Amino acid sequence: MTQGDSPAEEAGKRATVALEAASRWYGNVVAVNEVSFQLDGGITGLLGPNGAGKSTILHMIAGFLAPSSGSVTVGGHPARGHVEMYRHVGLVPEREEVYPFLTGRGFVDANARLQGMPAAEAAAAAERAIGLVELEGAQDRPIGTYSKGMRQRAKVAAALVHEPPILLLDEPFNGMDPRQRLQMMGLLRRMAAEGRTILFSSHILEEVERLADQVLVIVAGRLAASGPFRDIRRLMTDRPHTFTIRSSDDRALAAALVTEPTIGSVSVSDGQLMVGTADFGAFSRRVAGVARRSDITLHELLPTDESLESVFSYLVRR
Amino acid sequence: MNPVIASITLRQLLSRRRTILLLLLGGVLVLVALIYRLAGDGRDDLNFTSGLLDNLGLAALMPLVALLFATSALGSELEDGTAVFILAKPVSRWSILVTKLAVASGCSLVVTCIPIAVAGLIGAGGTGDGLVAGYTVAAAFGTVVYCALFLFLSLVTGRALIIGLGYVLIWEGVLSGLFAGTRTFSVRQYSLALADAVADVPSNVLDAALDLRTALVMAVVIACAVTFLAGRRLARIEIAGEAA
Repeated sequence: MTQGDSPAEEAGKRATVALEAASRWYGNVVAVNEVSFQLDGGITGLLGPNGAGKSTILHMIAGFLAPSSGSVTVGGHPARGHVEMYRHVGLVPEREEVYPFLTGRGFVDANARLQGMPAAEAAAAAERAIGLVELEGAQDRPIGTYSKGMRQRAKVAAALVHEPPILLLDEPFNGMDPRQRLQMMGLLRRMAAEGRTILFSSHILEEVERLADQVLVIVAGRLAASGPFRDIRRLMTDRPHTFTIRSSDDRALAAALVTEPTIGSVSVSDGQLMVGTADFGAFSRRVAGVARRSDITLHELLPTDESLESVFSYLVRR
Repeated sequence: MNPVIASITLRQLLSRRRTILLLLLGGVLVLVALIYRLAGDGRDDLNFTSGLLDNLGLAALMPLVALLFATSALGSELEDGTAVFILAKPVSRWSILVTKLAVASGCSLVVTCIPIAVAGLIGAGGTGDGLVAGYTVAAAFGTVVYCALFLFLSLVTGRALIIGLGYVLIWEGVLSGLFAGTRTFSVRQYSLALADAVADVPSNVLDAALDLRTALVMAVVIACAVTFLAGRRLARIEIAGEAA
């Protein structure tokens, strides 16, 4: 996977999924802003807060949205206006609704037949897909009676019934309990090991961490970071951190901390000592020593903002 | 035609509530004819039947049934997101559209034409010199045109039901009674012209405002045009992932 740089056309043709400076806007609202990446096999996590543009990217790859500028190709062809593409793509949409009057098996079977399989082949494929998502027990019940997690699994079975080389999943773990989540992760890993290209979106760091080989971080429509999860994790840990400190003598501690090379900024306002550091590890090892040498007692040391949103917004500003 | 989409659409359209409502509508038509047959003096069968089939059949039952079926055939799937499951398949958009139109028309034909034929036979006390056949054929013809029109409407607006109802009630119901020119764009008038041509009844019983040629040409042109536009619309339709 490469990011940002303009890849040679040859590489674009080989790539299973390729976005080239793809943007999408609705009126004045930019949903996706000049995003470029290529996928060739493996599991890629599309990570970002809600409303970041993850679904828009998935829908552009699935051919449901035209890029306002740039290009989105699947197997070298434009993703949009090309229904034969769906032989190679399985899509699990985020929206929950599934025909409530169909049974799980009927739904998966209908998806197989819509892929052009003859009836007998479709029935066998549906049975296999239902087995893969472990929905055998409920396959003859109408989907209207399913729980959220069961419906999700029926949708996954329907998306992989024709064994597509590309699988797109929009928030696939929503509504699944931890056991189902583990089972689904195992299934996706097996499918990736068979050489498929899997792209799933999630706003939950942990899901992406546990499943994805590669991560694309999307924030406010932009590709904020991309690469192996380890690198993304390091970026997130190494970002500037801000702490508030309560101690026996905030001003004296501020004076002592200013001389520390790991400290980026020190300020005292409203009786509160705030310290900014670019090196989270070194700072946390040294702060106690500085306080002890100055005879100051530390009462409290609090990171100001550890929410995922702040991590995301840091990655965007970077 | 795609048999899988057809069977899913059929099950979607024949939900219990909608079916009961529409059967009740058709039942009203038959019931009025029955009451007339049991209580009327039988001297004015043709006039009564023609009035009934026109005002309750072609003007009310036919457009309402077509409106409900045609706007749900694809529009409700687009609205609740289930359309993704048929659109993300190697099936041509034209095949999807034609299947949806065929199933909506088929359901509407059954629910519209049978009550019209039965009410006609009861009201006229027989075939009524082709009056019943005329109205039944006219209803079948009008139903298909309405379905094409309303299916197209459901692809271009989320308010297809309201706009369709406005067209039927205001344009066809009120305006075409006041201004003769609006009748050239009225599916009900096309149907009446066909009923008039098929039936062999005096003009005081049934007298269509449009001549048959104009009616047929207009109806076919409109049905083909809206179907073509609907196909293009479906080919270019966008489905957004998240609200934006």
